[in-house]
Amino acid sequence: MESNKKNTNQEDKKEEAEGLQEGSEIEYVSYGGEHHLPLIMNLVDQELSEPYSIFTYRYFVYLWPQLSFLAFHDGKCVGTVVCKMGEHRNTLRGYIAMLVVLKPYRGRGIATELVTRSIRVMMDSGCEEVTLEAEVTNKGALALYGRLGFIRAKRLFRYYLNGVDAFRLKLLFPRPEAHQHQSIMKLGFGTYELGSDQQNEETSAE
Amino acid sequence: MAAEMTDGIEKFADNTDAQVPSNPSFPSGDQTVWADVSPLLQLASQDLHDGELIHGENFNLFAAMSALEIMDPKMDSGIVSTYCSVDEAIEKGAAPVPLSFNSTIDIQCTIDIMDHLLACEATWHKGHSLAQTVFSCIYLLRPDRISSHALLHSYCMVVRVTCNAVVSAVSDARTNEEEDLFTMTYGLPLKGEGDEKCLSILHAVDETISRQLRASKAPSTKRRVLEDIEPLQTNADLEGGLCKAVLCRLRFRKHFYHVLTCMRRPQGKGLELARKHITSCLSELDSMLKLEEFLKCKSICRTVKDATDDETTASGCQPIGFDFSLNSRLSAPTPPRAIKLLSWRKAVDYFKKLLHDLEVICSYTLDPVLEVVLRFVVAFQKLHPDLVARAYLQLLLVQEGKLYGRDPVFAMICKASLLPDTVKNHDLQKNETIIQLGQLLTNLLRILCTNSAWQRRKLGKILQEWRIVHAQLELAFRKEYGDISNTSNEDVGMNICSYILIWVEEQTYWIATRFLTLGFELELYSPCDYCMVYWYIYVILIKLAERTHIKMMRSNENSRRKGKKKRDSVKDGAKDHQIPPAVSLLQCQICLAEGLVMMLAALRNEYNAFQSVGPFNSEHERFLQHFELLQKACIPDGVSYVSFKETINHARLSTSSTYNCFKDAQRTAKELRTSYSNDPEKLNELRMIEQVAEHNVVALNLVRHLGTLDPSLKVYFEFSHHPHFASAVVKRS
Ligand SMILES: CC(C)(COP(=O)(O)OP(=O)(O)OC[C@H]1O[C@@H](n2cnc3c(N)ncnc32)[C@H](O)[C@@H]1OP(=O)(O)O)[C@@H](O)C(=O)NCCC(=O)NCCS
Repeated sequence: MESNKKNTNQEDKKEEAEGLQEGSEIEYVSYGGEHHLPLIMNLVDQELSEPYSIFTYRYFVYLWPQLSFLAFHDGKCVGTVVCKMGEHRNTLRGYIAMLVVLKPYRGRGIATELVTRSIRVMMDSGCEEVTLEAEVTNKGALALYGRLGFIRAKRLFRYYLNGVDAFRLKLLFPRPEAHQHQSIMKLGFGTYELGSDQQNEETSAE
Repeated sequence: MAAEMTDGIEKFADNTDAQVPSNPSFPSGDQTVWADVSPLLQLASQDLHDGELIHGENFNLFAAMSALEIMDPKMDSGIVSTYCSVDEAIEKGAAPVPLSFNSTIDIQCTIDIMDHLLACEATWHKGHSLAQTVFSCIYLLRPDRISSHALLHSYCMVVRVTCNAVVSAVSDARTNEEEDLFTMTYGLPLKGEGDEKCLSILHAVDETISRQLRASKAPSTKRRVLEDIEPLQTNADLEGGLCKAVLCRLRFRKHFYHVLTCMRRPQGKGLELARKHITSCLSELDSMLKLEEFLKCKSICRTVKDATDDETTASGCQPIGFDFSLNSRLSAPTPPRAIKLLSWRKAVDYFKKLLHDLEVICSYTLDPVLEVVLRFVVAFQKLHPDLVARAYLQLLLVQEGKLYGRDPVFAMICKASLLPDTVKNHDLQKNETIIQLGQLLTNLLRILCTNSAWQRRKLGKILQEWRIVHAQLELAFRKEYGDISNTSNEDVGMNICSYILIWVEEQTYWIATRFLTLGFELELYSPCDYCMVYWYIYVILIKLAERTHIKMMRSNENSRRKGKKKRDSVKDGAKDHQIPPAVSLLQCQICLAEGLVMMLAALRNEYNAFQSVGPFNSEHERFLQHFELLQKACIPDGVSYVSFKETINHARLSTSSTYNCFKDAQRTAKELRTSYSNDPEKLNELRMIEQVAEHNVVALNLVRHLGTLDPSLKVYFEFSHHPHFASAVVKRS
């Protein structure tokens, strides 16, 4: 396995990429079981700096197989997305853990399609928002998520071991009631009325 | 897979239930019995293959991420370590004492260790663990071994004592929420016997080497007289240079330690002295740099690698006696990784920067006026100080719940509310809500000393607390004094209350403004968000200006009422109606913000630019996310996405109001110059405002006149003139 990977030289890559241009389709599949695991691990190992143990992968794909997707080109796995979702402060929240597309296949919308699929499933499962972290220097990922509607909610100081800051990106799904944002206080500066009944009135009016 | 395994276990457990041996030392509880699991594990292990796992309910992401794959060099730092223990390393000669039996080499190696330790220390300050940096030094881990080596011993001692001082400063400041790694010292010998004698020991070594240096300079005829002085080492040609190289390193340490202790004297009483030591530190660092060449070429080189920029010693030689992997088990919660140390040069630069930052703190006047304090902290943060400098600032500002350990918080609140000095002993200071307000204020000062990423998050959170304390104050005041909005009442207590309330509002809006503007510095906003962000800033600034204005007017009124007879009433009236410079400055910013809102809105409306259309949500969700904390705290009251949309819906490039906003900002800023003629910081702000306004007027004109003719023109926004007010740039795309 190892040596195969290393022997993929420039020419092979070119061929692959050209093959893609000639119109062979990219196939997207949801995580389908044990045979997909090594494919995912290989991709992520190659492209991301953080080493993950096999347990980390299992943690994600066994608990949320429906949120992980793989992209194939001519039977070869060229991209993947790994996610989770769970309770966070009384809301259901999706989280994108890993996203990778092989270098020769980048810039063709594969990553966009992969995350879009995951996000759809999260939305349909009742998530209120989706989050992830990305290095502040990862222009490609930041642009990609920006176009999908993610905002940079926070900056995380020296989040990664290499000392680089991260952004926490967030995507909030529309909620019907969100259009009348509920405040815990319905009191303004200068209005000297503070009464619990007033507060009750306002909330019950909705 | 996981389910299968669990099934297996359950089945197996049923069978073996009967023959459970009891464990006498831990009695079984109500619900539990002891069972021997070895047969179970044996059976299970045949089922479980490499890389498989049994998923228990408490198996979370953290547990998964903390797992190590043994023998994978990417994860298992154990396989890359050379030694199993410090003792083994020493046994195998990794840290010999003396470093060499050749005294020249011994001194050179000692200097390398000093330099490498400096690189380690700087790397630690920059966010790595103490265990993997400074305490990768085997000599530091076993201090008793070097007690015979006076030079190395004294140096290691002062390094340890300094680290200890820095750790306690940072932990006392508690500004390091995200920087926990910094104060993790578990298992490290950070305190040694006789540490309190550190300075006198250092002094003695300094004295000896000074004498050796003098002796080396003496002409050979005189040397006989000085015969009783043994040289530092045996090579006479190198003696002078090596003495100097050692001395500047020792003296840097001595002065640096003095800086740290002086800065911690109560009430800022050691700042003056600390400044002197800072000056000495900087000059010793310069001497170190000057001697770099000497050390490089005179090193009777042991292992000089090809010269690169990341050597951790001045000589370029590898230091002996370090092994970063020894401590890696103590260093971090996650699997330890190799770290990259700063080079010696970068370390020197780091300490220079740190010392300059500390000097700024030491030159501060300890002004009792809150506004001045806030301005100082905000200006200080613009220097991008690192953790250590920020911690020392915070320790200076808040000591024992008082400003500089000197001024009671209530006095500070009164001053900030522009109340006359006489009220600062009023009974009100014992009021519970006032005490709470005081805590909020000291907390705010602390937060302003943290790194800007963390700071912004904290500021967002405390907005709510300020809002609540305001409501509580109102209630408390009303209970005590009746209707407070009746200002004609001459009651002192009530007067105080209304003053304080106005100030709390003003301060809350100040926090909100800082929260919003920090977003630019942290690059949290994308260009398609600028319009709504400037709109929010605009709304908040108006509120802030209003409160500041009211506060100042009232205080004027008050002092006039209390002032003797009426003087020239016409003149007085005129003075009253004049807008205070502080408010005018805010107005400049309001105009800029408004101009930017309208300009961006027009570009959106007419060119479809700066719009965000994602597949999953709309701009409304972006608005809710960006301003969630402000909206939750009703800051300000009654604004929403709808009000934003109403403002911008009709913006057009052809309307002159946008143009006028920038023109007004420019004019007002110009006029204000005389009011701030001796305040360079405010003058700088005014200059920046003028520049932004000017550039935006030009850009606006360009787009207005050429926009429709030339569709290839694009508008960009840059922060080239002001950190948070953008300047438009028109370019051909
Ligand atoms: C980030 C990554 C997954 C993107 O994969 P991809 O398939 O090339 O992405 P897409 O083709 O879907 O890109 C969609 C949009 O993202 C943006 N984008 C992607 N890569 C970019 C780059 N290098 N520079 C600027 N923008 C980029 C573009 O706006 C692009 O749209 P466009 O091509 O129409 O201009 C890929 O670069 C990668 O695997 N990187 C290494 C791993 C990584 O960083 N993962 C993300 C961790 S959070």
